[in-house]
Amino acid sequence: MRRMLSVVVALAVTLALAAPVGAQPDTTAKIKETGVLTIGTRTGSPPFAYINKDNQWVGFSIDLVEQLVKPAVEKEVGRTIKIEKKESTPPTRIPLLSSNAVDLIAGTMTDTPQRREVVDFSLTFFYTGAQFLVKKGSPIKGVNDIAGKRIASQQGSTNAKIIREKYPQAQLREFPDQPAAFQALIQGQVDAYTNDGIQLAGLKAKSPNPGDWEVVGDFYSEEPYGMAMRKGDVKFKAAVDAGLRNGFESGKYFEIYDKWFGAKGELPYPMTPTVKAYLLKHSGK
Amino acid sequence: MSYQFKWSVLWSGQSGGWLLQGVATTLAISGLAWILAVGLGILAGAARTVPWRPLRLAGTFYVEFFRNVPLLVWMFFWYFGVPPLLPRGVQDWLFNHSAEFWAGMFALGVYHGARMSEVIRSGINSIPRTQFEASVAMGLTTFQAYRLIIVPIALRLIVPPATNESLNLLKNSSVALTISVAELTFQTRQVETYTAKAIEALTAGTLIYLVLCVSIAWIMARVERRFAIPGLIARGG
Amino acid sequence: MAGAAIEFEGVSKWFGNHQVLTDIDLAIVPGEVVVVCGPSGSGKSTLIRCVNGLEPFQRGDLVVLGDSLASAGVRMPALRTRVGMVFQSFNLFPHMTVLENITLAPVRVRGLSATEAEKTARTLLERVRIPDKAGNYPANLSGGQQQRVAIARALAMQPKIMLFDEPTSALDPEMINEVLDVMTDLAKEGMTMMVVTHEMGFARRVAHRVVFMDAGRVVEEAKPEAFFAAPKSDRAKDFLSKILSH
Repeated sequence: MRRMLSVVVALAVTLALAAPVGAQPDTTAKIKETGVLTIGTRTGSPPFAYINKDNQWVGFSIDLVEQLVKPAVEKEVGRTIKIEKKESTPPTRIPLLSSNAVDLIAGTMTDTPQRREVVDFSLTFFYTGAQFLVKKGSPIKGVNDIAGKRIASQQGSTNAKIIREKYPQAQLREFPDQPAAFQALIQGQVDAYTNDGIQLAGLKAKSPNPGDWEVVGDFYSEEPYGMAMRKGDVKFKAAVDAGLRNGFESGKYFEIYDKWFGAKGELPYPMTPTVKAYLLKHSGK
Repeated sequence: MSYQFKWSVLWSGQSGGWLLQGVATTLAISGLAWILAVGLGILAGAARTVPWRPLRLAGTFYVEFFRNVPLLVWMFFWYFGVPPLLPRGVQDWLFNHSAEFWAGMFALGVYHGARMSEVIRSGINSIPRTQFEASVAMGLTTFQAYRLIIVPIALRLIVPPATNESLNLLKNSSVALTISVAELTFQTRQVETYTAKAIEALTAGTLIYLVLCVSIAWIMARVERRFAIPGLIARGG
Repeated sequence: MAGAAIEFEGVSKWFGNHQVLTDIDLAIVPGEVVVVCGPSGSGKSTLIRCVNGLEPFQRGDLVVLGDSLASAGVRMPALRTRVGMVFQSFNLFPHMTVLENITLAPVRVRGLSATEAEKTARTLLERVRIPDKAGNYPANLSGGQQQRVAIARALAMQPKIMLFDEPTSALDPEMINEVLDVMTDLAKEGMTMMVVTHEMGFARRVAHRVVFMDAGRVVEEAKPEAFFAAPKSDRAKDFLSKILSH
C-alpha cells in the first residue's frame, strides 16, 4: 500500500513536470474571466488551515489569502472575486498547481531551493525552524546537547538530514509519521523529537498534559513558509506579493498573526524579534 | 520540461551505501524473523495436530490471535507496548541497542510464525495417520514421533508453500520502517528525499527486492531437491 | 488365566455411540499363534490395535505380559516396546533408508549404540531375506519387500508379541507368499502372534487357534481344523462360504 502510494506520487510528479510549458501562465487573466481564485490548502494543519469544530474551513494561511491577497488581486483584475478552496497535501500540491486545478498553494509549504526549480514562491509569510520537543527538565537544551542521545525525527525531513550530516554522534531514529515519533518520546524510546518548532508547539498543545513538555533550542534550520504558484507567472506573483507586503506595512499581517498565534490564539506561538526582523527584511522593507 | 532521468544518483554520494545498509538490515531482520517463524510454526503447527486437546487449543489460540491482527499493529505492540513491562534499566539498555530492530524482528517472526504454522499443519495433516501410529507402536513417545518422523516428513512436503510464506516475510519486513528500522524501503525513500529522484530510487528498491526474492526461491528449490523424499515427490531436476 | 501373554477381560469399546467391541474375553498363551478373522467391520482390527494401546477401550481390562493397559497411562510407550506391530500399509518412514527405519527405535528407545543396532538390523534383514536392501529408500522397494522390512523393524525391538493387521491385504498376489513365509518362520520360532488376515491357507497351516468375530463380538474360537471343517455358527459358515469360494 505504502509502496503503491509512492509509485502513484512518482507518476503524478513525472506527469506534472512533463506537462508542456507553452506560453507563460497568466493566472490574472484567467481570474479576470472567471472571477474565482482557487487555492490549494490543508484540512488538518491547525492553525494554518483546518476544518474547525463548527465545520468551517479556516486558518492563518486562509485569513492571509482572504484579507491580504484577495484585495490585491481584485485591484489587479479590476473586479470582485471569490476564493475557492481545494484540499492539497504535500504529495499532491505541486501536481495540482501544474495542472491548473489550483492557482495558489496556501498552507504549510516550506520555500526551498529545490522547489524553486519547479514553482515560484511568494514573500515568506511564516518563519519557523527546527527545534526539539523534550520532557520538562531534560538535559537537552538545544542542538549542541544531542551527542549520544536518541533523537526522533520525521523521515525525509530537512531536520533529519542536518542531524545526520552535522551531528553524527546523535542516535537518529526516523519515523514515517508524527504520532509514532511522539509516542516514542512519551515512552522514552527517544530522548527528544526534532521537527519544525511550530509543529512541536502544536503537538505539545494537543497532548493530554502540555505542561509535561518543552520546546527547546534555537532554530538549527530555516523553514520559511511561502505561497506557491506556477513558475513564471509574473503578474500574478506581483499581485500576491503586493498583498502580503501591504499587510506587513499596515500591520494587518501582525493582527492576523496575533489572532492565531497570540496568547489567546488557537496555538500560542509568540513571534520572536528575530522572526519579525526576518519577515520584514524579506518583504523588501 | 520532461522528467530528467539521472541513474547516477543511485551510486553517487551516499545513496549506494544507504541502499547496501538497507539490504543488510532487511536480510538480518528477515533472516532472524524467519528462524523464529519456522520454530514457532513447527511448534504451533504440530501442537494443533496432537491427540491432546489443551495443546491443540493453545496452538489454535496462538495462530488465530497473531495472524488475524495486522502486522503494523504488532510492530507497534512490540515496540511501544512491550518495553514498559520491562524494568527501567533493561528498557534503557534496549533503547540504546536497537530496540526497534528487535521489536520489528519479534513482530515479524511471531506474526509469520502463526502463518507458517498453518502451512506446517497442512503438511502434517497430509501425512497418513498410520505413520504416527507406526511410530508410537515401536515405543516412541508422541514427542519423539513428531521430532523424528512427522515433522521431518512434513517439512519436506511443504517447501513450496513455505517458500511463498518466506517471500511474504521478506516483503513484509518493510513494515518495520514504521518503527524507525532503517531497512531497504526506508533507505529507498531516503535516497528519494535526498535526491528528489523518485523513479530511480523506487526502481532500485524494486529491483533489489526482486533479486532477493528470486535468490530465496532458488535456494529453497535447491533445498527441496536436496531433501526430497525418494519416490514421494517426483519433481524435475 | 495365569501365564497368559494377552488376556482380554470383558473389553468393550465405543466410537461415539457406536459399540465396536462388546465384552471380549480372550486369552492367548505364550508361543500361541492366533488368527482373527471375520467380515469387514466386525471389529477384528480394532481388537488387535487395542493390544498395543493404539485404541483405547472404555470398559473391562486388557492385561499384556502381566501389565494392565487400562491403567497404563504414561507407561504406555514402555509397554509398547514389548509388542511389535505390522500394518496393512507397511508404514515405513519414507525419508529414511531401510537400515535407518530398522535402527531408529532400538537406538532412540532402547538406547543401543548405532553399531550394535546396525548389526542386529543386518541380521534381521538376512532373516527376512533381503540383506542387500539396507541402503535403499522404501519407495524403491516392492510392496512385499517393504512389508518384510516392516516385520524386521518390529522385530528389532525384540518384542515378546507380534501383531499383524492384515499384513498381505495391500500386496499384489505374487508377493503375498514371501511375507507369509517370513511369518511362518516366526511362528515356528515360537513367537506369540495375533494375526488379522483373510489368508485361510496360512490360518490352516500355521495357526494354533482361529477366532471368528462378527459385529464386535467373538462368535467362535476353535482349532483351525475344526473351524474350517465344521464351523458351528451360521455367520461363520456364511463367511467361510464367501471367502473360500474364490
